Amino acid sequence: MVPLSTKGVLGHFYEPADALAAAAKVRDAGWTHFDFLTPFPIHGMEDAMGQKRSWIPYVTAILAICGIAFAQGLQNYVMVYDWPMNFGGKPFASWPAFVPITFEAMVFWAALGSAFVAIIAGKKDTVPQPPTMLVTTGATVDKFVLWISATDPKWNAAEAETFVRSLGADGVRVVDVSEGRAHEGGAHA
Amino acid sequence: MTRHNVSPYATVMDDSQLTGRPIVLAGAGPYGGDLEIDEPLVTGGKKWTDVDRDICMHAEQFPTKKWWIAFSVALTGLGVLVFALITLFYSGMGILGVNHPVGWGSFIINFVFWIGIGHAGTLISAVLFLFRQQWRTGINRAAEAMTLFAVACAGIFPVIHLGRPWFAYWLVPYPNARGPLWVNFNSPLAWDIFAISTYGLVSLVFWYIGLLPDLATMRDRATHPWRKAIYNAMSFGWNGSSRAWRHYESAYMVLAALATPLVFSVHTIVSFDFATSVMPGWHTTIFPPYFVIGAIFSGFAMVITLMTFMRGYFGMKNYITLNHMESMAKILMLTGMLVGFAYSTEFFMAWYSGSEWEGFVFKNRAFGPYGWAYAIMFTCNAIIPQVFWFKSMRRNTLVLFIVSILVNVGMWFERYVIVVTSLHRDFLPSSWGMYALTAWDYAFLIGSFGLFFTLFLLFVRFLPVVAISEVKGVMDPKVARSIPPRASAAPQEA
Repeated sequence: MVPLSTKGVLGHFYEPADALAAAAKVRDAGWTHFDFLTPFPIHGMEDAMGQKRSWIPYVTAILAICGIAFAQGLQNYVMVYDWPMNFGGKPFASWPAFVPITFEAMVFWAALGSAFVAIIAGKKDTVPQPPTMLVTTGATVDKFVLWISATDPKWNAAEAETFVRSLGADGVRVVDVSEGRAHEGGAHA
Repeated sequence: MTRHNVSPYATVMDDSQLTGRPIVLAGAGPYGGDLEIDEPLVTGGKKWTDVDRDICMHAEQFPTKKWWIAFSVALTGLGVLVFALITLFYSGMGILGVNHPVGWGSFIINFVFWIGIGHAGTLISAVLFLFRQQWRTGINRAAEAMTLFAVACAGIFPVIHLGRPWFAYWLVPYPNARGPLWVNFNSPLAWDIFAISTYGLVSLVFWYIGLLPDLATMRDRATHPWRKAIYNAMSFGWNGSSRAWRHYESAYMVLAALATPLVFSVHTIVSFDFATSVMPGWHTTIFPPYFVIGAIFSGFAMVITLMTFMRGYFGMKNYITLNHMESMAKILMLTGMLVGFAYSTEFFMAWYSGSEWEGFVFKNRAFGPYGWAYAIMFTCNAIIPQVFWFKSMRRNTLVLFIVSILVNVGMWFERYVIVVTSLHRDFLPSSWGMYALTAWDYAFLIGSFGLFFTLFLLFVRFLPVVAISEVKGVMDPKVARSIPPRASAAPQEA
């Protein structure tokens, strides 16, 4: 989960193109613990932030194989081993009849598992974020918000704020959240 | 390249300015030629902040009188369903029209009908997503909700069709104290359980994943601390982080890629219920594609019906434009022709197979005692959608609404024709019979619509009816940004 105590600099842009350009500059300046909070996903943001492609599809593939194994195991166990029944002399292991449930189980495991893992990954595979209930960023409405977390190895409050301003961001401010309260202030907080 | 400082989208205010054809920007293309761009998906010169207000408004204020009227009508329908269910459990299956030889009646018809309605929602959310059809953003949320509620309606019918619904859990394979007595995995009815439950749950998750960013938007708009906390929990603390979007988008793509074959598999498996039997008229290999295309056809008709209401009563004309309606009309006509093609193929195969039984069933279907039902089906599904060859018809909302209703009627009768006409003439003339709906059959049909519309009206009352974050993504930033660009702002590349 997001830690209770976070500190960092916020600054916002008004268009996705500006956000992309800014993200590339932050990346090139050597910051690593930064994020862009945006109302909708921006195409190319992963590259601009220096991130790799998401690893979710690998999770999907593994879960799909688990689903196939589960359905095949269950059906063969029941129909061949535990309760074999003779339907007009047809083989007990009549694999074509097992295809529909195998397919459905594959989709079930892969889809639900991927969604679950993606939600967890959005929380874990990230940097400390400004708490949603305490800091209003406008990122769910119409602002493209740059956030540099104080956990960054390069962190220096004054330097970070000057840097974000130099990118052309509006509403630049240092946010310090501790003990459930947000303190927002100027450069030297 | 000529630089347009004022977006051509800023001046498109409503449907009357949309033509369904590209906007031509003279001299704006490469080498000084013309540039053709698509018309805007959102009209009215909306800003991103306007989108939030227009869409969240319905969930944030006390419902209107129109909503209450619609809700009370829907709730009455739901009451009819509850009353019919109580009577059914008390009196037994005898109150229905099913008999010998027509042992499958309105419950199976309604089941196939509602599952079919659901298919368009998944088609819009998954298939059109994979094909990068951006117009889906205006309608996908409501269409996916329609899927969920249609599956909920459909799920009732096979359970009550069992006759002893309190044993419905016997259909689930789990180690039990009855032997253990397992389900028969060779049976399409066992496949149905897996297909429908997977479809329902995957649709729910797909819909909810799409809702997360919008729930966060509603949280940030909320003023009451409880309301804020509830929306925060429901959105899992979504804050729009690009690091979260990265995984979110990947998962959304994966879900779309899985939902696409899933939607085709579900109605395929429903059609197996019929096709694996040895009944003439059911035992055909065309059934899976025929059912799937019919499902998409009927579902799109229902989407058009619902979108007409959303445009009219909920003021969504800027987000669900005439261009959206025209695109849906095109899909409706295409699938209608495919359905008509399937009807014709069935007849051809009945003759070409040389099977006496198959030939009789089809002659009897079209010209026998249920010829009227076949005529309704063929007219509504294969002939009436042909009006959409004309652009003026595709862009006439009254015509669209009437055709969508007629298609739904026609598709209900398609299932009626498939179920009833194949059964009512058994192999021996001594076993022939007729089937008629009783008042209780009608009560279940009306009641299922009551349930559907009750759920849909609650959805429009409490949740964002249009996918806010997706609509924002297809808007022109130059029009939608909250403050106009400043000349002296950040240095920008020309």
